[in-house]
Amino acid sequence: MTMPRIRNSDRVGWLVFAMVVATAALADEPAKWLERMNNALTTHNYDGTFTHWHGGRVETLRIIHRVKDGVVSERLVSLDGSGREFIRTGSNLTCYLPDKRTVLVERQPADQSLFGNFPTLNDQTASVYEIKEVERMRLNRRDTHVIVVSPKDEFRYGYRLWIDERTALPQKTQLCDARGHVIEQIVFSELAQTSHIPDIAFKPDVSTDGFQWLRNETPVGKEPAASASIVWNALKLPPGFKMRAHSAQVLPGSTDPVDHVVFTDGMASVSVFVETRPKPAAGQPQTVEEETATVGSSSAYSTVSNGRKVTAVGEVPPATVRFIANSVRAQGGQSTGGAAPSLGNTPAPSMPSSITGGGGAPQPVMGGGGRR
Amino acid sequence: MNEELDSQLSAMFDGELPPAECELLARRLSRDEQLKARWGRYAVIGATIRAEGGVRLNADLARRVSAAITKEPNLAAAHAVRAPSRASINWLRPVAGVGVAAGVAALSIIWMRSQGIDQPVIQQTAVAQEAAPVATDARLVACAGPGCRQPSNGGAVLTPTADSQADGSYVVPKPSGRRSMVGGTELANYVVAHSEFSSPMTRRNLLSALMAGESGTGGTSAGSEEAPEDVYDDAKNPK
Repeated sequence: MTMPRIRNSDRVGWLVFAMVVATAALADEPAKWLERMNNALTTHNYDGTFTHWHGGRVETLRIIHRVKDGVVSERLVSLDGSGREFIRTGSNLTCYLPDKRTVLVERQPADQSLFGNFPTLNDQTASVYEIKEVERMRLNRRDTHVIVVSPKDEFRYGYRLWIDERTALPQKTQLCDARGHVIEQIVFSELAQTSHIPDIAFKPDVSTDGFQWLRNETPVGKEPAASASIVWNALKLPPGFKMRAHSAQVLPGSTDPVDHVVFTDGMASVSVFVETRPKPAAGQPQTVEEETATVGSSSAYSTVSNGRKVTAVGEVPPATVRFIANSVRAQGGQSTGGAAPSLGNTPAPSMPSSITGGGGAPQPVMGGGGRR
Repeated sequence: MNEELDSQLSAMFDGELPPAECELLARRLSRDEQLKARWGRYAVIGATIRAEGGVRLNADLARRVSAAITKEPNLAAAHAVRAPSRASINWLRPVAGVGVAAGVAALSIIWMRSQGIDQPVIQQTAVAQEAAPVATDARLVACAGPGCRQPSNGGAVLTPTADSQADGSYVVPKPSGRRSMVGGTELANYVVAHSEFSSPMTRRNLLSALMAGESGTGGTSAGSEEAPEDVYDDAKNPK
């Protein structure tokens, strides 16, 4: 070790400094605009058409969002491409993939409100992002506040948001890499707040004749055991990330539960899914398989080793999902929601959460730590 | 500055940080003045308190360090060439990335260890000016392998192939057509499940990408990478 004393006292100073900065930043108007925007996007009724740009592709989509009697309905339709649709009605999520002749149906527990799930700015957010308003401008004949969220390291992306002064809905959003290059952009051409949206607006245009329907209903006899659940946590997390939720879920088309752990830095979040996989037969070499994928600007990284497949998905750079997936370990034997012990030199405080996904109660996954 | 970063810095200073993290931290160090200064203070304080020998910087050493650093691209390239060939089936093999990590981290450490010493400012600046661009060069050299374009001009980014993918170079990887162990539908499942925990704006972006059929494992071809309009040099300093 090198000069622990100096470092520790130094560290305390910086910590105090960071906390002061964090508190000051959160009290700031630019951060408030982010909260207003999140609030507007989840609680208002609106109907808009926008272009989604990513990787040289431009696609026009329509989004319809309604909250009626506390029930969220949302429909997202690709207007000029795949014809895919995503429809949420309360706790039912349905994803129509006509090009794959597949429909994914996921039923969320009724008590799992969409409102409470999204990341919220926390005391660490200001230590990993700089949030400021850079200008006000007219866009789509609306007055907007231009809020820039700049990452302070390369574990995350930055954002530029044109937030409507009156409605707090974003008229335009950009996701930027560390050099400030735009990697994904959404621009609304129309965005109307509507008091009444009829139910018919949430019916799909797609005809599903002959489609394969994949649901996440738990088959009989596969009900997850309610106790002795393994809690997954990360040995090390990128700065600012904390565990936010964990659950056992059964994903559509699968019979086995998947453990789902969510980490967030207040802006971006990363989900880690852990599934058991048959171990290679005796005598066969133990190989580590890994691969990556992207969905828009989001990254996915999957690795199979030691009888487990660990997949991390998140709106962060590829290196970050890889980092997190590779540091996830079983925190065996602890009950769900227990406080996470400090592992390594990066304590990962657990935010106890009682979220249990579609399949029911948490499911034990055999096997302990060790990734390779 | 938070505690994790602090710990990472310490670990890196002690040579105990895993390569993947070194890579990220080193790059951050190379452009974050505050962090550099911090690192420098560690070295000064440590050297003073413990009367650590061997790192005192004199003009002569500074020149030698500078010379060593300017040669460093070759070293980084060499790292990249003999990067490990893990038995990975994926399309994004960490070939260049590992080399880059080692190269950049080594650069930063060489430079930082010398920069931290209490010497005339002019000397430190000389080292800093030489070292910083070199760190960048090393990355570019390392990623100049086959199928790798330099991610510098006008928003153009890497067009990776199955053989070469500089994931460490911080660009969004594009898909290749190789068969994957996570199928497109399975990926869609993950994305939908994840989206429930994303911010409302991100959820919309994520689902939009999914609706646009933009899943990487689907083997979609990479389009042109021209940015739509604004390309900012730095999101903090627009226009």
